[in-house]
Amino acid sequence: MKERIELGLLYSRSGSYSLISEACRSGVLGAIAKINADPDMPLSFVAVERDPQGNADAYGPLCEEILNQSSARHVIGCVTSWSRKEVIPTLERAGGTLWYTIPYEGFEASDHVVYTHACPNQHLLPLLGWAFARLGRRGYLMGSNYIWGWEMNRLAREVISGAGGEVLGERYLPLGALEIERLIAEIRATRPDFVLNNLIGPSQYAFLEAYHRLGQEDAHFRPETCPILSCNLTECELPAIHPDAAEGLVAAGPYFRGVQGWPDGGQNFGSSHEAAAYSAVHRLARLLSGHAGAARESLSQLLAHAPGGSEGIDLATHHTQLPVLIAQVENGAFVPRERFAPVAGDPYLAHGREAILQGASSLRVVS
Amino acid sequence: MTRRIRIPVLGGARVYVLHRPHPTLQALDRQLRAIGLDVVQCWPELPAEALSGDFVFFDADQGYDAQFPWPTGQSPMPMIALIGSEAPGRIEWSLETGAHAQLLKPVGDGGAYSALLIARIAFEARQSLSAEIADLRRRLDERQTVVRAVTLLAARGKSESEAYDQLRQMAMAWRVSFEDGARRVVASHDAQGGANDRSDLG
Repeated sequence: MKERIELGLLYSRSGSYSLISEACRSGVLGAIAKINADPDMPLSFVAVERDPQGNADAYGPLCEEILNQSSARHVIGCVTSWSRKEVIPTLERAGGTLWYTIPYEGFEASDHVVYTHACPNQHLLPLLGWAFARLGRRGYLMGSNYIWGWEMNRLAREVISGAGGEVLGERYLPLGALEIERLIAEIRATRPDFVLNNLIGPSQYAFLEAYHRLGQEDAHFRPETCPILSCNLTECELPAIHPDAAEGLVAAGPYFRGVQGWPDGGQNFGSSHEAAAYSAVHRLARLLSGHAGAARESLSQLLAHAPGGSEGIDLATHHTQLPVLIAQVENGAFVPRERFAPVAGDPYLAHGREAILQGASSLRVVS
Repeated sequence: MTRRIRIPVLGGARVYVLHRPHPTLQALDRQLRAIGLDVVQCWPELPAEALSGDFVFFDADQGYDAQFPWPTGQSPMPMIALIGSEAPGRIEWSLETGAHAQLLKPVGDGGAYSALLIARIAFEARQSLSAEIADLRRRLDERQTVVRAVTLLAARGKSESEAYDQLRQMAMAWRVSFEDGARRVVASHDAQGGANDRSDLG
């Protein structure tokens, strides 16, 4: 008889980033189905789901509801960093754990969060290194007006300046805003070597279409000479982007559709969002298996007591080791251009900001 | 003009935590290690090696002056007060001790990173202000020398403002500060035996 364990799900099924929520959610549900059907797994998960509908202020109360009204101690969810920061005080009070499966801007290591997607030393630093070697060091930075864009661009500015490059502009749009003419005009005027895109949702989709039109008018703004770089764009958002505008986009991530190596099992996933969520639920299932009382333990107890070890979750930072791939959209699908050796998440960049840049040439394995 | 503050890289920095063994230190220790720091806990005194440390956290509740191997308030690194009781006397002591930032006890899930950054930047600002003040003070002390040098140059038939300009040009040519240039003029005059300025003025 399998032990039934309730697992909280906190994904917005509507709102500006629902495509990403849905990708994560399908990874979670796929993993739950697989674990529940596996006779060798001593437990089964029961989803306890709440939908904040894209409202950042709803995450804290709904997370509290899951932790108070069910026996769930673990919640998987949140897409924006804003919502993650909203639930941390709740988790701290209730002794709960959030499994966060989205690339983020780093500089966090909560005792109550496991970070299973990439942080800047696993996405931004290698992506900039790639761009410097192929395109140049003159960048234009932009983002949606909240912590992801602010922090990513702050770090990019430091890395670009440190490498002797130049930041030609830095612009932010309110979440959901579609007024991108100013961005396009500035990019046209400054003619950078690349554009670092930290816009999210509809703003991003509108920008990409406008930038594609700019490329039709002026050949400099085509992917060969001035591509758009992203650290959080995956296959799950391609349906929202006009196919012509998606062509040539460059993204960094631990997984792209069809790539083998991570997560284990050789299974195919729709995107790295789905893969990271799937992998998180499996890690949690293995941590909870095989010792009594595990379901009620705090994250730090669980990581210390699990008979199979901490499942690759670093005891100090709660981040994981991930492959680093740079891929580019070609005929509607991401095609890997470069693959770096797997690297441990280093949220505070304790090993430096330039590590991956310097190692780029020696680590390169062209796939 | 506002200057962009550069966020320092903290990885590999050595932190001394001067606090008696206590459960709240576990939370602090976890945060510091996640940030990538080497942590040394000590009580009741800082070891000699602490002089080369990068940060010191100290207990504002039970701390006392003799714990620190430097003159009060003159730590060679940023200091962060761990404050439990917010008694005014203890806050006063932690400020006199030279706290650049503080972290409240019990320590929870966050707070250490911002305390480290604020302490480091406040420490650096204080260091550069101290250096600037020392320089200004030194130049202030040279006022009399400048007056003497201008007087000596003016005695050769120049107006006071021409003498002043000449002194500035001499300092520039010698690539020394205005005050150092003045000192040279006076020293050269004294060496030539013209100890009595009055005779020149006469």
